[in-house]
Amino acid sequence: MTAVEPQAAGTSDRLVGELADLGGLEVTDGGATRGAVTVRVLPETLEEATHVIAGTAGTRLADMFADNGGDAPLLRLVWAHDSGYLLTETEIQGDQYPPLSDIAPAAFVEECEIYEQFAIRPATGKPLNRLMLPPHAGPDFPRLGHRPAEPLDEAHAPHTVGGQAFEFPFGPVRQVGVESLYYGLVTSGEEVVDLYLFAWHKHRGVEWRLRGRTPREAIFLAERAEGLSAVAVGWAFAAAAEAALGITPPAGAARTRAVALELERLYNHAAATAALCQATGLTVGQSAAEIALERLLRVNAAAFGHRYLFGVVSPGGADRAPDATLLRRELPGAYGELRRAADALLRTNSFVDRLEATGILSAEQARRLGLVGPVARATGLLVDARLNTGGPYAEQPVTVVTAEGGDVLARFQVMLGEAAESVRLIGEYLDAGTAAERTQLPPGGGMGLGWAESPRGEALAWVALDEAGRIIRARLRPGSVRNWRGFDDACRSQNVFTDIPIIEASFWLTAAGLAR
Amino acid sequence: MPLWFVRGLRRGVVTTRYPARPDGSAAALPTPPAFRPGQLTRDVADRIVAVCPSAALARRGDNLIFDAGTCTACGRCAAAAPGAVTSSGEWELAATARSALVKEIPIVGRQL
Repeated sequence: MTAVEPQAAGTSDRLVGELADLGGLEVTDGGATRGAVTVRVLPETLEEATHVIAGTAGTRLADMFADNGGDAPLLRLVWAHDSGYLLTETEIQGDQYPPLSDIAPAAFVEECEIYEQFAIRPATGKPLNRLMLPPHAGPDFPRLGHRPAEPLDEAHAPHTVGGQAFEFPFGPVRQVGVESLYYGLVTSGEEVVDLYLFAWHKHRGVEWRLRGRTPREAIFLAERAEGLSAVAVGWAFAAAAEAALGITPPAGAARTRAVALELERLYNHAAATAALCQATGLTVGQSAAEIALERLLRVNAAAFGHRYLFGVVSPGGADRAPDATLLRRELPGAYGELRRAADALLRTNSFVDRLEATGILSAEQARRLGLVGPVARATGLLVDARLNTGGPYAEQPVTVVTAEGGDVLARFQVMLGEAAESVRLIGEYLDAGTAAERTQLPPGGGMGLGWAESPRGEALAWVALDEAGRIIRARLRPGSVRNWRGFDDACRSQNVFTDIPIIEASFWLTAAGLAR
Repeated sequence: MPLWFVRGLRRGVVTTRYPARPDGSAAALPTPPAFRPGQLTRDVADRIVAVCPSAALARRGDNLIFDAGTCTACGRCAAAAPGAVTSSGEWELAATARSALVKEIPIVGRQL
């Protein structure tokens, strides 16, 4: 384990200096996104600027999205570094832009999404996957921008199926209680040669639905973009709106959010433990982990009035405060249940053997694909949005848990370490004082970036408000979006069919977060 | 033949009672709203309809239409009109027909 204090800004200045040397760059202040250093890059230097940033040690592509900011679509890239975020804006003339995923592979998912929503695409004409919109999406289907002149005929980028390999379809309807998700598995019979995903079956157009709403109205939908990260995505969205309006939540409300966020991490890690047991066929372990999960959910309901912690975060602060006495009394028992189950599992060879050397990702893969959360930390990367969240996490710094193996076992061990740290943090925040209070949202508009560390990694949100305080464009990027990008790589790493449910449980992602 | 089978046939009980015992944790669950018709005016009804994020509320003339199948028990309506709306405490909402979840509440409060 390593304790890391938030670092002073510095990387952004260095990056901006390097970008300035390229020319075609303007550092914007007025009207720029608050919460990140914003630079406007001309289209002709976008490719070179992306090379510079992607090649800088310690940076990763956190998100890429478009909006109809003016006459032409604006392409925004959000880069995370050790002390915060750098955001580039480029106005795209015509319908093409440089193939950025050739430079930063993390960008491929967003290239597909942007083409579906805004009809602009990488200039090389490389095949794009169908990502968000279903095949029957006609001209009237709600989109954030324009419909592509040439809709995707192919459902996915062509896959080479050579030799004895064949394609094995699985889903979208899977076992009871599991989200709709389609796997296209390319296999030679047992080994996974390739894998691609369709997640559009549950696309709900959340970002489209947010337009025209006030942040107070929109939080209801934002926290449902990925229900199992309701606090994290809600916090990221609220923080983006607060940054846009230039306000900060009261300290007691920020600690309330932090308590809810750590409770969210606890129940998700318990659920992932149960899923790992199910995937490895250990029904006794699964039951033990599910008992812990149910106790944690009941603690949530008793402390905050909702099992999944909906309705806690509100733009400007928090609407519900925890019952501190109850949390201090009930949480140790519920967490102890999880710890007992986990300790027993770690002493069970048949369990540990299935996790070890399964679904391996290297630190370099994780960095290039922009992976976040326990998946990235299990490769040794020190990636945790809580290091830059400030507020309660500056008062009481988090001890970030990392591991080196990059396999399922390493991810499980990171989750267990994080669960213990969450219990410690909750105690500290309760001692410091929590409250349900809000700073009034002032009139006016602006743009802001917000983030929070969900159980499955960094959740990001970007919000643009008009002068009436209504949303022009809101971008929600749950942690799942980033980590699905690494799922196929993990499955391909010399694994067989029966490893896939184990790898999926260790990633503990949602299809909803991707298909929002 | 096992005794439990004979006893079940005689008493008509095929499984355990539901719930086998009261579930204490249910008290902490968010539950859909209950309405006090005497406190409901058209203005109050319009106000709570406007704050409902899931469109579970609508006003039709002098009736408030409440769809418990759409309600997420978020509590915004009770916060907007605490005198007219309370939490029902009812969390078992299963019905054999979808239409049984839609209720009409008469608006009989005096408009000021």
